[in-house]
Amino acid sequence: MAAQLWWIVHKDLVSECRTWRVWPAMLLFGLVVAFVFGVQADLPPDQRPQIAGGLLWLAIFFAGMQAVDHSCGAEREEGCWDGLMLYPIGAAAIYLAKLAVNAIALAALECLLIPAFAALADVPLMSHPGAMLLVALLGNVGICAVGTLLSGLVAGVRHGGSLLVLIVLPLVIPVVLAAAEATRLAAEGQLGPEWWRWVHLLAAFAAIFVTAGATLFDFVIRD
Amino acid sequence: MPRTADLLGPSKERPGDNLGTVPIFAQRKWDCPPLGCRIIPDVLTGSLVAAGLLAISLLAPTEKTMGDAQRILYVHVAAAWCGLAGFLIVAASGLLYLLRRDLGWDHWAQAAAEMAWLCCGLTLITGSFWAHAAWNTWWTWEPRLAATAILWAVSSGYLIVRSGVEDPHRRARMGAVLALVAAADIPLVVMATRWFRGIHPAAPQMDPAMRLVLLLSIVGFSAFFGLLLVRRRGQLRLESLLGALEREIDG
Repeated sequence: MAAQLWWIVHKDLVSECRTWRVWPAMLLFGLVVAFVFGVQADLPPDQRPQIAGGLLWLAIFFAGMQAVDHSCGAEREEGCWDGLMLYPIGAAAIYLAKLAVNAIALAALECLLIPAFAALADVPLMSHPGAMLLVALLGNVGICAVGTLLSGLVAGVRHGGSLLVLIVLPLVIPVVLAAAEATRLAAEGQLGPEWWRWVHLLAAFAAIFVTAGATLFDFVIRD
Repeated sequence: MPRTADLLGPSKERPGDNLGTVPIFAQRKWDCPPLGCRIIPDVLTGSLVAAGLLAISLLAPTEKTMGDAQRILYVHVAAAWCGLAGFLIVAASGLLYLLRRDLGWDHWAQAAAEMAWLCCGLTLITGSFWAHAAWNTWWTWEPRLAATAILWAVSSGYLIVRSGVEDPHRRARMGAVLALVAAADIPLVVMATRWFRGIHPAAPQMDPAMRLVLLLSIVGFSAFFGLLLVRRRGQLRLESLLGALEREIDG
């Protein structure tokens, strides 16, 4: 199953590398948000981590939604969905493969945005790289787990892209809030019990949403 | 395109039983119950709601520190209870639709979602009034308030998404999946005051008379919620049948 799953991931990554349809726009959007924040963030140094954490995760969410929307939308638009259904693999494996592709896209975005926010807002987001990596990973999986499932759901629906943001954002607000708080605490160097509580919440949401997605994706793709 | 027979779900009648014609309405006599049967639930519910409101106004003792503003609590808790119950019905109906592919369950889900949206909104508004009286602020970013606001936003998204899809089965499938994912937020709302530190009271000590009034209020609100739910579900079912008939007539 791992090999079959890898082939779907490979197909999507190769397709993106050949066409560059989504990633450049996604990265540019994230960078523009970082620049706008850098220009506007004339705040006292002690207030910056809180604002930067929230804006960083909102930028990651809105920019990342372009990749998430494309992951299932492109399959429907270009008539590849039926071919994918013929692939001898379960719906849960297709979901996990699409989730992995989206997580890679968001990871690329985070690699760009976290240093950009750290530099432009003058916030020490990289002072605890291990903590930041853990928060980014869990937040990434939480957002992608819901996004991938619902991307499959709205694929082929009129105005599916705008609908996707509309339905994913309320569902991932707990993830975005928890990630923003954990980022703020990591930037302030407070890696105590409070930071762990937010990390546990992120992990719980990631686990719940991945399980729900893998279970429900069969209903999503079956017409 | 689904036929009228499909919209009726897995009932005893199946396609080929001449269900795509108007006499289907005559076959289901509970679609148009006698006047007496329709009035009894209305009168019963009206009595319960009136009893609840009278108890809130007259029976409930006035709280020492907050005064009459504390009476908001009786409406607030009852509305929150109905909202959460509504979300649970949406999730359960969605699950049953996915398992049985019966649009009847989707009608329950939509009716419950509309009621839950209304109750959740009422919870937020009454909560805001209560917060202004108790904490001197209309809104504070407190875990349970934030979780309830998230739930309201999710239900708004659910209703907007549903309204944008015309195919009934696709709409039902989208709604069901969305409801099941959103159900993850319900434990967060219920447990928010225990998991996270906040200023929202978790289980405050109350005078026995206050408890009685709260119970009456919850019973009255629940009856009203149930009545509206059943009526709206019936309306959705008839709308669905009418739409299917129109499509069949148009060819």
